[in-house]
Amino acid sequence: MTNKMDNNKTLLRCSGLTKKFGGLTAVDNVSFELKKDEILGLIGPNGSGKTTLVNMISGNIKPTGGDIVFKGRQLRGLKPYRIGRLGIARTYQIVKPFPGMTVLENVAVGAMNGKSEKNRSVKDAFTAAEEIIEFTGLIKYKNYMADSLSIASRKRLEMAKVVAMDPDIIFFDEVMAGLNHNEIDKATEMIQKIREKGISILIIEHVMRAIRLISDRIFVLHHGSKISQGPPDDVLNDKKVISAYLGKRYKQLVK
Amino acid sequence: MRKNIFFITLIIVSIAAPLFISNNFILRFATDILIFAILASAWNIIGGFTGYASFGNVVFFGIGAYSTSVLMSVSGLGFVVSFLLSGILAAFFAFIIGLPVLRLKGHYFAIATLGVAEAVKALVQNLDITEGNSGIYLPPPDLSVDGIYNFFFYISLVVLILLLLTTRLILKKKLGYNMIAIREDEDSANSMGVNTTMIKSISFSLSGFFTGLAGSIYAYQQGFIKPEPVFNVLITIKMIVMAVFGGLGSLFGPLIGSITIEVISELLSSYFLMAHTLFLGIIIVLTILFAPKGLIDVYGNKRSGLSYFLNNIKEHKV
Repeated sequence: MTNKMDNNKTLLRCSGLTKKFGGLTAVDNVSFELKKDEILGLIGPNGSGKTTLVNMISGNIKPTGGDIVFKGRQLRGLKPYRIGRLGIARTYQIVKPFPGMTVLENVAVGAMNGKSEKNRSVKDAFTAAEEIIEFTGLIKYKNYMADSLSIASRKRLEMAKVVAMDPDIIFFDEVMAGLNHNEIDKATEMIQKIREKGISILIIEHVMRAIRLISDRIFVLHHGSKISQGPPDDVLNDKKVISAYLGKRYKQLVK
Repeated sequence: MRKNIFFITLIIVSIAAPLFISNNFILRFATDILIFAILASAWNIIGGFTGYASFGNVVFFGIGAYSTSVLMSVSGLGFVVSFLLSGILAAFFAFIIGLPVLRLKGHYFAIATLGVAEAVKALVQNLDITEGNSGIYLPPPDLSVDGIYNFFFYISLVVLILLLLTTRLILKKKLGYNMIAIREDEDSANSMGVNTTMIKSISFSLSGFFTGLAGSIYAYQQGFIKPEPVFNVLITIKMIVMAVFGGLGSLFGPLIGSITIEVISELLSSYFLMAHTLFLGIIIVLTILFAPKGLIDVYGNKRSGLSYFLNNIKEHKV
């Protein structure tokens, strides 16, 4: 599916992104790139500005400064739905399924909206939704109400909803938080399968085991600034990252 | 399928009813029910499906009523033209006022819409063209007495059927799914690519359009209108109560709610002249307590009898 020529092509470039809430600088002059078919990990302590960064790119909050360029197009100032239609999808840290709709309907809403050139009829959207539910392993819950699902299934439903939008990029905001080991392994596998569909991924996660395994590169935020970036093993051995986020005991734990 | 059969049967019975009912009082009563069914079902579009509880929908009713009155008595237009223009004007007003007001959520939206309705009432009370508080007369329909009763019954029935068909059509389309997505989680819908502002405005305008048509019918039926009765906040309350009583966010819920409430209220007032609102209040409270999803859910639910009601109490305990 994926074209070799496209590899290393930058899909999303953020430069000098800054967000100030009054006197507090939540994100301070952060620049990064997301390449095609890449899984980019974003880690950092609580309150380091990870979600704020994603909220700026997805249009939920307005940046104080900086540029967001997606496929050569400036995204700054666009509303969330416009960004969703251009091909950037996101999940929310606190899952936001449509509780009163069935699992199938939830995913179908994603399939009938999302990337605009792929806008489908209602019938086609339901067909596509059915395939994605199969793909994400939710098929037995197809007709369940979304609010009757377990937390692991809800997180999986969130993933199904954004995949249904047929995006170029997905931001996963802590989709593994609150899952047990077995469920984390399944989620990791799912994210790799999503990448194989030709979707680039930016993933915010605290589960080091998973993020180390799936990320091609990782970058680290601390007090709103980028303190490290590179291949997982380099970043996770970086002294600054260890003292700011991982803690000295981390190395012993992983070994 | 069961619902379709129910719907078709109801239409046939309604169309045929006036042929067998020679009693004009009953026909007039049925027309009142139909008008309230239009109001409650129109409210259901914005309040039930889109999740924005408007407490000012009476403003569209009033605008519909006054548009028809002014267009007919001042501009001298015929009823059909005035009727359609009234709906369009109410829809247009809903769209314009929706742009700022639909940015608010929950209680704030409710209060803002309430304010809009009161403000428009004050405006109508003070404008020359609406003849202020003294009210405005409409030319009567050029029909026999029986013809008039039949005319208002059928026009209300046609509007109600059109409204229900439109709603049903929307629910099967992308618009309907997006409306419900907004009700369930607006932020999530927005980031999935749903133009929430547009969808909410369309929904509010549709609600306004049909409410305006009902106002137009009401004005022509009354022959004389004043600002206070047609902009009365109690009309808004009544449409909300009927929609909730019958079943919020269901196609036929508001219709069932308006039939039930009107019939119960009529029966009570013929037996208890003074205390009928007290009994009506008790019935409404008990219904909301035992069947919070409305009467339609009592039929549609898998549980039956006492266990259904007890389960509701358990689930919705505060």
